[in-house]
Amino acid sequence: MTDPAIRLAGATIGYGDVAIVRDADLSVRRGEAVAVLGSNGSGKTTLSRGLLGLATVLGGTVEVLGAPVGRLRERGRVGYVPQRHTVSGAMPATVREVVGVGRLPRLGLFGRPGARDRAAVAEAVHAVGLADRLDDPVAALSGGQQRRVLVARALAAEPELLVMDEPTAGVDAASQAALAGVLARVAAAGTTLLVVTHETGPLAGVLTRAVVVDSGRLTYDGPLAGVGAATGPDCHHPEEAARPPVRGYRLDQPRPAPDAVRLRDGSR
Amino acid sequence: MELLEYGFMQRALLAALMVGLVAPAVGVFLVQRRLSLLGDGLGHVALTGVGVGVLTSSAPVGTALVAAVLGAVLIELVRARGRTSGDVALAVLFYGGIAGGVVLLSLAPRGQATNLDAYLFGAITTTTAADVAVFAVISVVVLAVVWLLGRRLYAVSDDEEYARAVGLPVLPLNVVLAALVASTVVLSMRVVGLLLISALMILPSAVAQLVGRSFRSTLYLACGVGVVVSVAGTAGSYYTGTPSGGTIVLLAIALFLVVTAGVALRDATARRRHGRLAEVHAAHPHEHGEGCGHRPVPHGDHVDYDHDGHLHAPHHTVTGTHYDEHSGSAHPTAVVPPVGRERP
Repeated sequence: MTDPAIRLAGATIGYGDVAIVRDADLSVRRGEAVAVLGSNGSGKTTLSRGLLGLATVLGGTVEVLGAPVGRLRERGRVGYVPQRHTVSGAMPATVREVVGVGRLPRLGLFGRPGARDRAAVAEAVHAVGLADRLDDPVAALSGGQQRRVLVARALAAEPELLVMDEPTAGVDAASQAALAGVLARVAAAGTTLLVVTHETGPLAGVLTRAVVVDSGRLTYDGPLAGVGAATGPDCHHPEEAARPPVRGYRLDQPRPAPDAVRLRDGSR
Repeated sequence: MELLEYGFMQRALLAALMVGLVAPAVGVFLVQRRLSLLGDGLGHVALTGVGVGVLTSSAPVGTALVAAVLGAVLIELVRARGRTSGDVALAVLFYGGIAGGVVLLSLAPRGQATNLDAYLFGAITTTTAADVAVFAVISVVVLAVVWLLGRRLYAVSDDEEYARAVGLPVLPLNVVLAALVASTVVLSMRVVGLLLISALMILPSAVAQLVGRSFRSTLYLACGVGVVVSVAGTAGSYYTGTPSGGTIVLLAIALFLVVTAGVALRDATARRRHGRLAEVHAAHPHEHGEGCGHRPVPHGDHVDYDHDGHLHAPHHTVTGTHYDEHSGSAHPTAVVPPVGRERP
């Protein structure tokens, strides 16, 4: 358990042979709660997807829970909340069924859920404040509630590392507050959190460390409170996503090389 | 029952029963995955298998099964490569399948069982006892796999990216599903024909989807609908002298339309009734809560509020919670305090 939860060394991550995140170094200890900040298109989602085996590691090292990503056994140790507003599926499904999927990686190939698994599902749904909706179809829930169902699905796995992509985007204030409470309890229990986000506001009390990604480079790594107000991603409105990121960096960090900027604008 | 006196009808109804049960059990996963037409494509591929079987004088059911399963695995591998040409590759496979089948069948010596129509549109009355035995084996295997792996197939069909992120074996599960579809295609070949196979997988799922609340209940309901339309269509075709495949599919579509209309009517009625109740209280739009001046009446999982002798119950909607008239049937009237009782 002395391995860091996440270790990136000179990591280049992308899709196909297109590099999106370049030469990233990062070490996250067990139990840390880290925000990955940056405007849309900065590469912060790609960074998180690299940890999950959903993006390709093109160079360098990416280790999760002590094992190279892709060779990690028992992926059930990693929880994932995708960047999506609603539960997908064309067929009806109850909250219990969707959250139950979170237990599957722990059941092996043919295992069937037992009492322990059912309890974990009920616990996770209770944690996100939807205990009274356990047997309701997810389609009957609001967008914010559906997002909480996806959080519960990740929690049901009882993960050691929880990766969340934009969990507060487009979610009403009540659901954001509920989510902050859940994450505070999860973090207090020792789970490592990595939250990709535009805005740290709703989760400021939970997340302690921040990493800023801009044009595929890590441009800041330090206390969340230290992210400069004038240059931090908080001042990026989501609608600025399509535009190039605002220039200007903390003085203690090197400016990104010009080729990194070109990479972002010219590679697609 | 007159139609049960004939051996060929007994075999036909048995085949219809198995197809009606199995096709939707696989189809729900295809609908969930938004790959409704995969069955259709594999039906095309199976025709080449039929052609090979007829030419080599081996059982067309066996060769069709081999061709369809190979095609299914190939499709999944192409999809997993994620190349933009995947769409074109599928089209090549599908049309190649049907073209190969037509050409191979035309090469068969005259007098052979080369009736193309029978394979394309079904010829349930030609089902032999050997066919029924093969169908039974396929049915048991398919249902057993769905029972064993259903949860994983649901997970992968529902959210493939999440399944991959948490380490479920996505590609093997997709290949298993495709192989199940291929087996079902061959099973359905005699009953509804290769061109209508998708209908028996998709339409019962579409009907069940309208009324189901959970995935599990939707799956069971789809199988129930499949059995009913399949057996009823086959029996009906005996009396009307129409092809079984077309009859079954038209019956399923009719059921789909009726249920769609029924659900729309139910929703409209519920909305209208809700609207009327909302109007009554529009003049009084406050949210009930502690200390709102109305007496709280705990009721199971929620708290009602006594509002001048009738109860207001919380109603959770997309936009939040508001209070409506408590529906009378859901609440024992004995709990409702009479008007004018003392209130705190």
